[in-house]
Amino acid sequence: MHWFCASHLVNDLEGDLLELFAQRVRTHGPREARRRYVRDVFSLMRPFVIKEKPEKYPQPTFAHPAMIRNYFKIAFRNLAKHKMFSFINVLGLSAGMTACFLIALYVHFELTYDAFNKKADRIYRLSADIQSSAGTLQYSITSWPFGPNLQSDFPEIEAFTRISKENYLFRKGDIKFNEEKTVLADSSIFRVFDLKLLQGNPQTALKAPFSVVLTESAAQKYFGERDAMGQTLLIGDNGDAAQVTGIMQEPPVNSQLSGEVFLSMTTHTRHYNTAVNEEWGNFGTTTYLLLKKGADPVALSRKFPAFLQNHMGRLLQQENISLTLLLDPLLDIYLYSKREADQSGSITNIYTFAIIAVFILIIACINFVNLTTARSLERAREVGVRKAVGAGRWLLARQFIAESLLMSFLSFTVSLVLSAAFIPLFNELSGKTISSGLVQEPRSMAILFIASMVIGLASGIYPALVLSSFEPVKVLKGKFAMTGSGALLRKSLVTAQFAISIALIIGTLVVYSQLDFMRSHELGFAKEQTVVIRPGSGNARNALKTLLQNLQGVKSVAASSAVPGGDNSQAHSKLENSRGEMQIATLDVYRVDFDFIPQYGLKVVAGRPFSKEFTSDSTKALVINEATVKLLGYQSAQEAIGKKFNQWDREGTIIGVVKDFNFKSLKENVKPLTFRLLDPWNSDLLSIKMNGGNVKATLEAIETQWKTLFPDRPFSYYFLDEFYDRQYRADERFEALFLNFAVLAIFISCLGLLGLASYSTIQRTKEIGVRKVMGASAASIVGLLTKDFLQLVGLAFLIAAPLAWFAMHRWLEGFAYKTNIPLWIFGVAALLSALVALATISFQSIRAAFMNPVKSLRSE
Amino acid sequence: MKGTYLGEFEEVVLLAVAILAGDAYGASITNEIEQQLGRSVNLGAVHAALHRLEEKGLLSSRLGGATAERGGRSKRFFTVTMAGTKALDTIREIRNRMWSAIPKPA
Repeated sequence: MHWFCASHLVNDLEGDLLELFAQRVRTHGPREARRRYVRDVFSLMRPFVIKEKPEKYPQPTFAHPAMIRNYFKIAFRNLAKHKMFSFINVLGLSAGMTACFLIALYVHFELTYDAFNKKADRIYRLSADIQSSAGTLQYSITSWPFGPNLQSDFPEIEAFTRISKENYLFRKGDIKFNEEKTVLADSSIFRVFDLKLLQGNPQTALKAPFSVVLTESAAQKYFGERDAMGQTLLIGDNGDAAQVTGIMQEPPVNSQLSGEVFLSMTTHTRHYNTAVNEEWGNFGTTTYLLLKKGADPVALSRKFPAFLQNHMGRLLQQENISLTLLLDPLLDIYLYSKREADQSGSITNIYTFAIIAVFILIIACINFVNLTTARSLERAREVGVRKAVGAGRWLLARQFIAESLLMSFLSFTVSLVLSAAFIPLFNELSGKTISSGLVQEPRSMAILFIASMVIGLASGIYPALVLSSFEPVKVLKGKFAMTGSGALLRKSLVTAQFAISIALIIGTLVVYSQLDFMRSHELGFAKEQTVVIRPGSGNARNALKTLLQNLQGVKSVAASSAVPGGDNSQAHSKLENSRGEMQIATLDVYRVDFDFIPQYGLKVVAGRPFSKEFTSDSTKALVINEATVKLLGYQSAQEAIGKKFNQWDREGTIIGVVKDFNFKSLKENVKPLTFRLLDPWNSDLLSIKMNGGNVKATLEAIETQWKTLFPDRPFSYYFLDEFYDRQYRADERFEALFLNFAVLAIFISCLGLLGLASYSTIQRTKEIGVRKVMGASAASIVGLLTKDFLQLVGLAFLIAAPLAWFAMHRWLEGFAYKTNIPLWIFGVAALLSALVALATISFQSIRAAFMNPVKSLRSE
Repeated sequence: MKGTYLGEFEEVVLLAVAILAGDAYGASITNEIEQQLGRSVNLGAVHAALHRLEEKGLLSSRLGGATAERGGRSKRFFTVTMAGTKALDTIREIRNRMWSAIPKPA
């Protein structure tokens, strides 16, 4: 009855019901009376009964425009009145938001790799596992015949495209560029991927040999403002003429297809390597398959073994290997595939960053809550007066929420400006063009706006509830003290903040010391003062080498197929092991000339290096490293000398063993490596060791020599040590990001601590006054005020240290050569956070300690 | 205008209030009508009619007189206003005129 009846009617209607019920019990009996009672109740459910009588004084509606305007007006006045406080609060929140926004952009960028393709869910990369007695090789590439044959054998494959990236020289008159990542692609690339041609026909653009499709920027590069369509470019060292058949919109940065110059695959298959379409064993191209709608990739890959047997059975048997084909979904390649890919990211990094972002946001929100509640003392009177003149709790809460919304809106605006300013820096830091500017992304801006409002609301609710719960009588009488639970909450919030900050500091220091360890680690070869150039193979290289050796400032020159820190080939090899068998293994190969081993300072521990005195060296000799010795099961390097080998058409004996050196990054252990003398027609790198003297002059001299031999080709070079350290660039970025966010976290935490310190000093004003009167010194008062907070920081350290240790230990597992986590890192982190906290607090506490007790005691 | 028309049930309720003269409230009116018409009526229907009549200004109400039988809840007493009396008179007049207009069988 009560739940539907209006308050002003319920009384007499119920009376009537009861009276009739009593009468009917008498006249009709209880059953009938009960039945009638129920009927009457239901008959009373009428509009007039339900509707409330209008009140004499109209209730304010939930969202009255005038009231809302008032909320914001008051909020504004409050902000303006406490400029310092508002500034700190907005600053903290916007710093947190900015960090969060940038990380959100980054994470979004990484997660949407290749997602621009509308058919992405149907595109698969064909990968291959090659199993031999030497182990399994995980390839992301296949050979050329796979694509066409798979499509003709299996109807569920709609299209395929093969993509290789190669280094081609492109010329247009005087303009010449080495396009290191020229994309060789089948004409079907436009069917499989969503690349947009601005000019040209996507069906035919890459069909004919020597057809080139340029991106807009590449067209600009070669042809300037002129129309590039139909123009001619000269490619390769021979200068074959190729025609521009299409202009393409720049492909998105987060794609496996990034490239500027696209050359038709037929150029390769019909001219440069005409047999490749039939060579099943020539693994060198990435094959992408587009499946028909509804085709099941699992069912398809079950048919692959039969396909392989059918086409490659004999070859596989000959080589005594087995092959497994796999379909890798395009969308998983970037983040999840362990195989080599043009672009690969790491899902753990994304998690790390997402966690850091959440942490920073939590810190910022805690800050906001802390600072706002810390001011409750000040605002308690205001709340009291408002309540006394009739404001309800909910109304007050709404006012405080409006205030925090306003604050978060301000922070959002500030952080937009900050983000816009930091995006170029962040792009550089992460090494990618994550975003070209916020203006281009109205959708993510809208999401960020909503997110910031939610943040404002979430962090505004607690202070609003606390502030609005004050009892007016107590507050106005001045008998007001914060409850213990509130203080406990604030303290634990600050502890949490500091724990996060300390963890980040420890993380930064560990990353730093690991990188430092790697940079200073003895690699086992001389990488200093060495410049590497790529003159190509053949006689020209030898001629250049002779010219350079005679230059002043050049100590020596060595030719090789690979240099440490770069890629090298792998060869199917057979070596005699300790049991006298020919052990089969796939080994890394360096093809080098006589000067390489001495110039790189590789230590020969047994036997001898290559020598011109032995003519047989060029075809019958192999030098191996200690890791290979171990692989073959010999006890000492000496035992391996003179043992037989068979590798890539050469048979002979092992003539020397060199000490292990890190030819790959320190993330991996040193792998077995073999050296063989180069052939005249391969190995295109020259390493030039310089004297200490004038590096610049020497480089210019080298360039002059280069120009005389290769007038058509641009001169480019790199320093070996930089090249080697480039492997750690991702880790350096990781370090830089870590450092930045750790600083940010500390900064925000300090703002929070500042708020809390000022709050507690104000609360203890009187206590301090009394103490001073009783003769306490300023120092002892500062100590008193500081002690509490240092305890919090200490507690935070105790929480953070083991967690950080655990997390960083996991991170270090990824490195084969790793530093131990030194104990001083924890000391430094603790000391640093304590110092920063102390500096923040002392600002408040010293002022409090020097205050005249007369003033503080008179304050009532 | 709303006030000019009276429904059949409204008329009965208004008459019942007039009959009970001063002792008219929800339960008593319901009883009165049940006795007079010899049929059972819903309390809700009665209250709805009372509410409408009050809106039309034919009735006025005041609170008072709780009894133990009602669980200590007050009664809402209804009295016929001047307008109400006039409305009843008008209806009666109309009825009389119509009755008299019926041609008498000779």
